[in-house]
Amino acid sequence: MEEPRIGVYVCWCGTNIEKVVDVAEVAKAMEKLPNVVLSKNYKYMCSDPGQDLIIKDIKENNLNRIVVSACSPRIHELTFRKTLEKAGLNPYLLQMANIREHVSWVHDDKKAATDKAKSLVAAAVTRVNHHEELQKRTVDINPATLIIGGGIAGLTAALEIADAGKKVFLLEKTNHLGGVVAGIDQSFPYFDSAQQIIQQFIKRIKQHENVEVLLNTKAENITGYVGNFKMPLPMLGIDAELEFGNIIVATGLKPYDPSAIREYGYGYLPNVITSLEFEKMLMSGKIETKDGKTPEDILIIHCVGSRNKNCHEYCSRTCCMTALKFATQLRSALPKANIYQAYADMRSFGKDCEELYLKASQKDIMFLMYDQQKYLPEIRRAPNREKCEMLVEIEEILSGDMVEVPADLVILMTAMEAHEDVKDVARTVGVSLCGNDFFIERHPKLDPVATTTDGVFIAGTCQAPKDIPDSVAQAKAAAARVLSSIDVGQVEIEVTTAFTNEDLCCGCQTCISVCPYKAIGFNEENRVSVVNEILCKGCGTCSSACPTGAIRTRHFTDKQIMSQIEGMLSMTKRKSKKTELEV
Amino acid sequence: MENSEKKKPKLKMAVYWGAACGGCCVSVLDVHEKLFDITELADLVFWPIALDVKYDDVRAMPNGYIDVTLFNGAIRNSENQYMAMLLREKSKILVAYGSCAHLGGIPGLANFTNRDGIFERVYDTSESTVNPEKTRPQLKTQVPEGELHLPYFFDDVLALDQVVCVDYYVPGCPPQTERLVEVFMAIATGATLPSKKTVLGAWDKTQCDECIRTKTDKKTIKEFRRPYEIEDDGETCFLEQGVICMGPATRGGCGYRCIKGNAPCKGCYGPSPDISDPGAKMISSIGTMIDSNDPVEISEIVDQVADPAGTFYRFSLPGSIIRRKIL
Ligand SMILES: Cc1cc2nc3c(=O)[nH]c(=O)nc-3n(C[C@H](O)[C@H](O)[C@H](O)COP(=O)(O)OP(=O)(O)OC[C@H]3O[C@@H](n4cnc5c(N)ncnc54)[C@H](O)[C@@H]3O)c2cc1C
Ligand code: SF4
Ligand code: SF4
Ligand code: SF4
Repeated sequence: MEEPRIGVYVCWCGTNIEKVVDVAEVAKAMEKLPNVVLSKNYKYMCSDPGQDLIIKDIKENNLNRIVVSACSPRIHELTFRKTLEKAGLNPYLLQMANIREHVSWVHDDKKAATDKAKSLVAAAVTRVNHHEELQKRTVDINPATLIIGGGIAGLTAALEIADAGKKVFLLEKTNHLGGVVAGIDQSFPYFDSAQQIIQQFIKRIKQHENVEVLLNTKAENITGYVGNFKMPLPMLGIDAELEFGNIIVATGLKPYDPSAIREYGYGYLPNVITSLEFEKMLMSGKIETKDGKTPEDILIIHCVGSRNKNCHEYCSRTCCMTALKFATQLRSALPKANIYQAYADMRSFGKDCEELYLKASQKDIMFLMYDQQKYLPEIRRAPNREKCEMLVEIEEILSGDMVEVPADLVILMTAMEAHEDVKDVARTVGVSLCGNDFFIERHPKLDPVATTTDGVFIAGTCQAPKDIPDSVAQAKAAAARVLSSIDVGQVEIEVTTAFTNEDLCCGCQTCISVCPYKAIGFNEENRVSVVNEILCKGCGTCSSACPTGAIRTRHFTDKQIMSQIEGMLSMTKRKSKKTELEV
Repeated sequence: MENSEKKKPKLKMAVYWGAACGGCCVSVLDVHEKLFDITELADLVFWPIALDVKYDDVRAMPNGYIDVTLFNGAIRNSENQYMAMLLREKSKILVAYGSCAHLGGIPGLANFTNRDGIFERVYDTSESTVNPEKTRPQLKTQVPEGELHLPYFFDDVLALDQVVCVDYYVPGCPPQTERLVEVFMAIATGATLPSKKTVLGAWDKTQCDECIRTKTDKKTIKEFRRPYEIEDDGETCFLEQGVICMGPATRGGCGYRCIKGNAPCKGCYGPSPDISDPGAKMISSIGTMIDSNDPVEISEIVDQVADPAGTFYRFSLPGSIIRRKIL
């Protein structure tokens, strides 16, 4: 290996870093470290002039290692890798030190923050000494796509891809397509028939030559990697399997079971129903109580299971609008009924949604606001059933009064939550879930339908609650991503993979059992373990498990990590106890 | 004895012990009749176990006078340290011979305590001690004949390369005699030696490579057991029977002699190249074998490891990253 010649660049990030960290002092401190040829600070390293500075220095000073100390590598590692490439260096000869998120944004003591920044940058410098050139690799993309979930999002994505002439396998775990939308009557804010939309979709899907629908089928035991995934179909024979290059997860959400909320008596008060049960009633065309009577007093309760730390803390997003939709539909069906809405906050954002709220509020509907953190409305059987079925006690917070509302029918606007089996889906496609068990997107703003697993995309409510237009938009975006990857035909795959040094591997096979991607096999002839570097995701689990050091993960070798730790510690002056050997 | 043929001048060789049990010196004697081959090629100029040569004689030698010194034992007191430095000066090649010189060895386990802790145990609390005056060894003692000196006892036990530069390492507790002969012959016959600082007389691959017990990737452990607690079938990998075997993390070269005797590997041959903390390496490896995802159950299983420090760092504590227990 040629002598390392390191260039260090400390970024100000405008004032983001500079106001807390003495960037000049950090840069100066790095000059003394071995193999550092130059160390500079600059206002915006990621800007074109910032990158040009690096390129110029590389060329003029024969630099062969670069440290950029700036923001998180999640934001700009790729930017600076490209900078190195432009200057003719292998992109992996870069190391970043995060002195923004890890330093300036979380500290205010300038002296201590500067010291911490020095330690982090020194760690990057000592590490980059041991960086090795890594070569990019590509694989071909299988043009078929697996879509998991046959709701509106899955159907939309399937049609989009199939219409472009590519094969789609559509998996649905129930015995019918359509998801939640198949169970709703009209859709807000325009009161168009949800049934018409969804049934048309289903019809087209069933007739489409490029779509293969698999009902009563769950996504299980998916193996492989971007461009080349596989899933066995044991019910169709031992060797039957699907092969596809991309995956779109569109598993949606399911309604929350409100029986857990004591105040609402769902389950034993027969005329307390959920929003989806009410949709069914609307579709049947008969709005009536369990005894077949037309209700005179109807109460709609919002936020059932949402926005409360005892259930789900998030907002389920579509229930307020659905509640207004219900109130409007009720008013036209039962002009004489008393309609009450107990809401916590009215959320009617989005195109033509606030307008729907305004219209509904002019339809003689009584809006009552309750404090959803303190007192939930309490429903009990009315003592005198002649007048009404139930009485609901609500602390109305705008008036400050305790009011009692009569009700023959109560509709609970239940939250939407993750399916019980979502963790299995997440595991088999290799995507993480957030604390609410929604799938995590690669970047919440810049990459909302991709995931951190290449070739796996997400669409619809499995990512978070949302309405039909947003689900459809996401589905189309995911389809576009898949189509563009099919169009390119090849993808770059992970280069930071593991590999075994066969001269050291003792054949203990410890690594094989720990690899989460089943990427390691055993070569019986040489009695050594061998990594399939296309399957390997570079997670490093095997390297920490291997007792001999035979298996190493590129870019995360023991030497690189240990040198990073040494560099980090080298900046702190330890009060060393004089050892006896020095006496 | 004079031979008419022009012979290569004989090598000058020394064997010395620091904090050691004596086993390494005995392993040198264990070469049996091969000793004659060795003495044919080398003169032993200093070897306290066998020859009456004084420290003053060593001090009188010119620097670099000895061709090869096999230094066994760890550095535990000022005398060990002094002799290591003296022999370094007098030797062309200094070999850390045996586990103690290599990584600290069994004496290195004393780094789990310190000088005070050891003295208290040895001079006060041990079951066979009666010492109400709390007498302690003194560095200097006046006797009618003059002043007597004892070496200073350090808090830390150190490996040889932590006090002087070492050219080669020959691991083992003690090193396998055949390996010593091979290494010696290589040096004596002037064969090209590997680059400095390397381990000689041991393989890069670890014990499992030679071990003939059957092993699979099913290393799942629900219960750690000690060898006497299992009915060993003599065929299945110890780890797969729940018995901790240091084999995967220990260089071969010993002829997997413990395992052949149906005892799990204890780790005396040290880690494979580039491993800076064999104990940690083995712990993280064993950690992946524990067959549970429940934190409580995991800690119960882990608690079954009798003497984890002595199991994972039996021969390597001073030479590892953790080096000692912080007291
Ligand atoms: C009562 C109610 C009324 C609503 N009204 C409106 C409205 O008027 N207007 C509007 O815009 N939005 C409305 N919404 C929101 C709308 O329903 C959602 O936006 C929409 O259903 C999201 O579609 P999706 O495809 O993401 O998920 P879903 O509709 O939930 O479909 C997911 C599909 O995936 C399947 N699946 C789940 N797990 C697996 C698995 N492991 N393997 C295979 N398949 C699986 C499910 O069975 C389901 O078929 C309403 C919601 C509710 C609850
Ligand atoms: S864990 Fe290491 S030594 Fe064991 S089989 Fe795997 S690579 Fe080889
Ligand atoms: S780094 Fe190792 S454990 Fe992780 S995916 Fe690659 S081979 Fe498997
Ligand atoms: S762990 Fe021990 S018993 Fe098992 S294969 Fe390795 S050396 Fe043999």
